[in-house]
Amino acid sequence: MKKIVAVLVLVAAYSVCFAQDDYTWVEPSKESQAYHEYRMKISRPPDGLQKVLGMISKIQDNENEALALSQKEYMSLSLREKLTYHLIHAETYSQNCDARPPVPDEHMKIFGQLPDAFGDYSWSQRQGNFMIANRDTVIALVSASIIRSSRVGLNYKKAIIDINAREMIPLLIKTYNKDHKDHDILTLLMILMKNNEFEPFMTSTSYKKLYANEETSYEAYLNFNSANEALIIERATNFYNGLPKKG
Amino acid sequence: MRRSLLNGLPISIMDFLKKVSILLLLGGLYLPGSAQTACGYVLVPKGSYRVGQRQHGLNPARTVQVDSFYIAACETTNRQFAAFVAATGYVTDAEQRHDALVFVPGLREFEWNNDSTAYWRYPNGVAVGGIENKMEHPVTCISYKDVLAYCTWAGVRLPTLDEWEIASRAGSNGTYFFGEKKKDIGRYANVWHGADHLQADSSDGYMYTSPVGSFQPNAWGLYDVYGNVFEFCSGKVKPDENPRLAHARGGSWWCSATSCSFFNSVDIGRVNRRASFSNQGFRVVK
Repeated sequence: MKKIVAVLVLVAAYSVCFAQDDYTWVEPSKESQAYHEYRMKISRPPDGLQKVLGMISKIQDNENEALALSQKEYMSLSLREKLTYHLIHAETYSQNCDARPPVPDEHMKIFGQLPDAFGDYSWSQRQGNFMIANRDTVIALVSASIIRSSRVGLNYKKAIIDINAREMIPLLIKTYNKDHKDHDILTLLMILMKNNEFEPFMTSTSYKKLYANEETSYEAYLNFNSANEALIIERATNFYNGLPKKG
Repeated sequence: MRRSLLNGLPISIMDFLKKVSILLLLGGLYLPGSAQTACGYVLVPKGSYRVGQRQHGLNPARTVQVDSFYIAACETTNRQFAAFVAATGYVTDAEQRHDALVFVPGLREFEWNNDSTAYWRYPNGVAVGGIENKMEHPVTCISYKDVLAYCTWAGVRLPTLDEWEIASRAGSNGTYFFGEKKKDIGRYANVWHGADHLQADSSDGYMYTSPVGSFQPNAWGLYDVYGNVFEFCSGKVKPDENPRLAHARGGSWWCSATSCSFFNSVDIGRVNRRASFSNQGFRVVK
């Protein structure tokens, strides 16, 4: 009898374990989903926006794909229109593993990396080269757009990283402090410090947790709280203040 | 509880051992009849299998039922794709659109270069050289559309997302078929071991693709499931997803621990169906 009871207990325990293991995905909370949508915003600069959107719509093929404007069409754009084109449209593909799976409680996290701005598309070499070659113009136009809208779209964040626009740090902090909502601005500040190897950040616990460990994944994050927020802003401010001043 | 007469083990365990025996046996067989035969096929029996991972946003833990299927032990090679092109005159997307994406050391994470000269015969562009001495490497720079054309010709198909995962797991329940230590990946897969992609990494003998079967297989005899090239699968992750998208699984020679890390049995990538990357390939099922 004891043996039978023991077997039944084992079977019951196994069943419970299996049932727990059969756990299905619980949708992130509405707050988390709303924040996900918020952080995926693509900002649209005003310069020649309608003209550029019209040109992009014409290069869509029957599979609803829109890749690159032809060189002739592209060259017909002014500098500012070219920038608008680049900022709102990605003209080549993203590789398979660019996609990050959704995560719960996004609004409670400060991620080490930004999400993918254009889904299965990415900026091409031509687009990246343009941004770098016209760095000052990019900074001026993107800054003006941020000041007007109080938002730093995901495409703007990516451009800021690509051109290493460290001089925008005060504007980024000021924009963040308006509502403390866009934690990806904090992510952006950390990426700028990382890319510029700012020593106080490179030796910090945050850096180790987000970037330094071989086991670190692209989804690594810090918990969002006022202490982490303040620390990132303080470090980014110190980083900016230590930059060589332009004569 | 019923027990086998031979050794007293429960019938379910005996069934499992039989399945494994069949798999190991077929894993080494050469099955003639199509272009996809060089490395043989592995039979995965009909049954219930555990897939997914708890709290994974795209691939939650669950049990799935599948019919039996044969899955190629190796990724489809340049030699096999060349036979298809020779027989049909097929022209790939990259040849028509001149939009293949290639990698050279020095690019930042997730950056790829467009190379109008690249296609499956020159998977990293004409300047880097062709595949003459790489016929047993996996074919790359082919789009999902190209792969479907190959499958139609060869009388095979792509694995579904679940089939790929079942075969990659080879009976294991964790993230990796070899255990939970990510650092062991180098024994089983051609991946990127550098901290970033600014410097070349050939520390495992290969910067780009390796000949199929160069690393240790999983317990069912499948090679390169976590490395060499991403492997296209059929099916959708979400019912309402954009029809432009295809999915591929496993890792690739480009994938590093810090910036991709998809070399496992859990993650599911997505790529445009017309994209042709030099780390994108496939294995087939019949």
